Amino acid sequence: MAMRKFFATLTSAVSLGLLASAALAEPKTNMLHQWDSGSDAAAIAKLGEMFTAAGGKWEQTSIAGHTANTLAKLRSDVVAGNAPPAVQLKGPEIAEWNATGMTADLDPLAKEEGWEKVVAPELLPVMKPTGNWVAAPMNIHRINWLWGSTKAMAKAGIKDLPKTWAEFNADCDKLVAVKVICEAHFSQDWSDATVFEVVVYGQNLDLFRKAFVEGDTAAMRSPEMVKAFEQFRLMVSKYMDPAIAGRDYNTTTEMLAKGDAAFFIMGDWQIGILTAAGLKQGTDYVCQQAPTDWGKPGFILNSDSVVFFKQKDPDYVAGQKLLAHLILSPQFQTVFNQAKGSIPARLDVDLSTGFNPCQQLSKKDLQASIAGGTLVRSMAHNMTVLQKYRGAMMEVITQFVNTPSMSPKDAANAMADAVEAQKS
Amino acid sequence: MVDATLKAIEADPAEALASRRYFLGRLGVYSFLSLFAFIYLLPLFVVVANSFRPLPEIIQNGLIGIPHSFSFGAWGQAWSSYCVSGTCEGMHRNFFNSLEMTIPATIISTMLGLMNGYILSKWRFPGSDLIFTCMTFGVFIPGQLSLLPWAFILGHVGLANTIGGLVLIHCVQGTSFTTLFCRNYYVGIPDDLIKAARIDGAGFWRIFFKIILPLSPPILIVSVIWQFTGIWNDYLFGVVFSSGRGQPITASLIGMASGGVNVRVYDVMSAAVLIGAIPPLLIYFFGGKYFVRGLTQGAIK
Amino acid sequence: MTQATGLAEAAAGPTLRERLARAVPIIVLAPSLLASFVYVFVFAIWTFYISLSNSSLLPSYGFVGFGHYATLWRNTRWKIAYSNLFLYSALYVTLAILVGLGLAIAIDQRVRGEAIWRTIFLYPLAVSFAVTGTVWAWLYSPNAGIEFLVRSLGWTDFTFRLTTDRNLAIYAIVATGIWQSSGFAMALFLAGLRSVDPDLVKAAQIDGAGPFRTYRKVIIPTIAPIFVAVAVVLLQFAIKTFDLVAALTQGGPGISTQFPANYVYDLMFQRGQIAEGAAGAMMMLAALAVVMVPYGLWLVWRRRRESGHG
Repeated sequence: MAMRKFFATLTSAVSLGLLASAALAEPKTNMLHQWDSGSDAAAIAKLGEMFTAAGGKWEQTSIAGHTANTLAKLRSDVVAGNAPPAVQLKGPEIAEWNATGMTADLDPLAKEEGWEKVVAPELLPVMKPTGNWVAAPMNIHRINWLWGSTKAMAKAGIKDLPKTWAEFNADCDKLVAVKVICEAHFSQDWSDATVFEVVVYGQNLDLFRKAFVEGDTAAMRSPEMVKAFEQFRLMVSKYMDPAIAGRDYNTTTEMLAKGDAAFFIMGDWQIGILTAAGLKQGTDYVCQQAPTDWGKPGFILNSDSVVFFKQKDPDYVAGQKLLAHLILSPQFQTVFNQAKGSIPARLDVDLSTGFNPCQQLSKKDLQASIAGGTLVRSMAHNMTVLQKYRGAMMEVITQFVNTPSMSPKDAANAMADAVEAQKS
Repeated sequence: MVDATLKAIEADPAEALASRRYFLGRLGVYSFLSLFAFIYLLPLFVVVANSFRPLPEIIQNGLIGIPHSFSFGAWGQAWSSYCVSGTCEGMHRNFFNSLEMTIPATIISTMLGLMNGYILSKWRFPGSDLIFTCMTFGVFIPGQLSLLPWAFILGHVGLANTIGGLVLIHCVQGTSFTTLFCRNYYVGIPDDLIKAARIDGAGFWRIFFKIILPLSPPILIVSVIWQFTGIWNDYLFGVVFSSGRGQPITASLIGMASGGVNVRVYDVMSAAVLIGAIPPLLIYFFGGKYFVRGLTQGAIK
Repeated sequence: MTQATGLAEAAAGPTLRERLARAVPIIVLAPSLLASFVYVFVFAIWTFYISLSNSSLLPSYGFVGFGHYATLWRNTRWKIAYSNLFLYSALYVTLAILVGLGLAIAIDQRVRGEAIWRTIFLYPLAVSFAVTGTVWAWLYSPNAGIEFLVRSLGWTDFTFRLTTDRNLAIYAIVATGIWQSSGFAMALFLAGLRSVDPDLVKAAQIDGAGPFRTYRKVIIPTIAPIFVAVAVVLLQFAIKTFDLVAALTQGGPGISTQFPANYVYDLMFQRGQIAEGAAGAMMMLAALAVVMVPYGLWLVWRRRRESGHG
């Protein structure tokens, strides 16, 4: 036993030594990301602290505003010949940038640390688009959450969150009858798409896979998709309030806090926001997976990850190894996800202390979903189809939300048309 | 002008009617101006008020309101302690970045504009009109068109991600404007003046320094004001070609405003907006009169 | 120099010194000229080539043809954006000129405190379009802005919902743009009004024209060149509209206030479709040409007419 511990310590000392002396270089990095304020920035700050504690020089470039600004910075840096050492990228973009040949290969480190065994299997094809490791996953977000404001639900005597869409509609009718807004919402392209993909997923798993993961336009025109748009139209016209177009995210959270609205469909980063607003799980809000009509635990997955671009400066190369090592480390996975509201990308991290009950439920549902074959990646959060198809779909979805006269059938066809237009 | 006409009417026997019409006319004019002044000043009032209202009061009572209690914390936060883009230093560094970018770019593009305008108006050579028209096209190029080419150029001259890169961009783009203004202005200087000087033996530079420059203050001011404001207020290039602490203030405060998921701190944002707007506002406040004068003296023809 | 010597020298042809002296202007002009040339032509040609290439994530140079233009024009969002551009430009330029003219005429009526009025209407120019959009978004917000204020004052049925109504949001952008730029028009018109020859006005009055007639028939035609100048400056602001929309409505509600510049930026930078973005940028230039080419021709015609009179 002591021998094993001795060898373990020796190995880690040697590998750290190897890491450090990789080029007799001082590891440094400059991570490009979009988490520039609030709880997101605090979470990334933790990575910085760990990097500095491990002897590296930490720098970050955080870009405020829409993701487009971060991607703009990335593109202009690459065109200028100055690719960043580390950048936050996700989904199919990892594959796209990998195809340019500019990304660094993480296979040696991955093999050494045994990432294959501990990272959730659904993430592997995203992180290894052509078979070798290119990105280091930081977390797993769950998109299909339903949040309930206990105050608002009490007004209509609702004790539990609805499990199927039929129950959801029934509950909403009750809430509307007592003049409570059933579903809090703010209309932006990504939030509209989030709710819609949760509706599609909850109604029909196959439809989600065909239309949103594979991008099959025939599936988009199908009667099942029309049915999903019908449910969505019902929600937008009857269960949401008219002011969704001008509202911003934090006002929506306040609606829940004050009890003006009962339900909210949003990803798990909402946990961080609710906590920051001083709300407590159980007393002020409850969480449950968003309604599904097929009765099993389901999971729509989103994951933030870091991609590394090939560098000439040996200090940056050493920094990349250190950063990737830290990102996949159990300590970082714990600390980062506690702050963000998501769950670790490593399946072997213990969530029993320091994590919100909703996060623990998320992990339980993830494992059940993997076992039951219901796990999918999120289209709305850029984990499945290429940006050009996703953008086209989101435009139609948000148009549908803001155009009461657009019929579900028209929307389904418009979505298919928009994607087809991009395929040529 | 109208007064003269009206005085002519007043001399009429129907004097009561005339003076009432005059009074109504004045009332109309002042009401018209006041109504518009109210609309124009409303945003300024809102921003100034909100920078002094504590945030809970803003959230409670809406964005338009008179402060019930004054709090000066927002200004301090906006200048030196607000956390944005990974650091908690407020906007002061961005403010100085903007100065560092705007002052050199304004001076250089104005000087170039003066000389180019002088050349293209007084030293005509075959093709100078065509060249002028082509240079003027630069005024209309949308920023999006030039982002990727600029990224390529800045990268290869080693100015990517620096204030120097932004200065280069704004100089090149600004020279189109300043050349347009100056050339149109100098066309108004009589050619005979130049001819006489040339006959007296004055050369290119002599004429520039002794004749052209002394006549230039109006257009100089127009150019400086226009360039300073345009460069200081640029958003797109600031966002793409710099980041974090290196950003000019307009880019960084819009970044702060598009908070995303986080609570909007309206009070700090208002203070930040004002901090960012003060230099151009001061310039318009003190230079506005000269700006108008210079424009009319022929910048735009 | 005596006339004889001068003539003799002229007859002898340019000396080296004279040739050098003649070259100085061109030498001084050269750097700006080169920079302008690159900025205007090289960038535009590069963008045009990219619009015909297979660039996606990064610029690449395989020729593909005009397919991207076809894809662009099949896209609803682009069609809405392009039509918004024309609608916005027409309304913005026309109304800003009218408002500016109105304010200038009003101030010109020997009002008291002219400097104050002028500063009030001119200060929005000092503000960035992005900041204007941000602050006006606060005012337009139904939950916390003007509608909220009026409702809290008692008129509980008052609605003022421009930016959240997909049919009206574009007009919110027009109105905000006018707020920003009409001061510029006012300043120019005011100066123009002041420079009208008072004798002309007196002549009109002697002929018995009232104030309105005088303005219409005498003053406004005299300042006609200013209309053109203002229109040109406002137009280039309109075509470049990006910051205002990004800050005020982000292109929403839905996609109703999309503008070409915003869509091109998204295509190039968020969606990794650089070629299609370049096609969009070329279409923006085309929209510009629709206005600038007639203007250029008019300038040339006017200059020829002036030199004819000269």
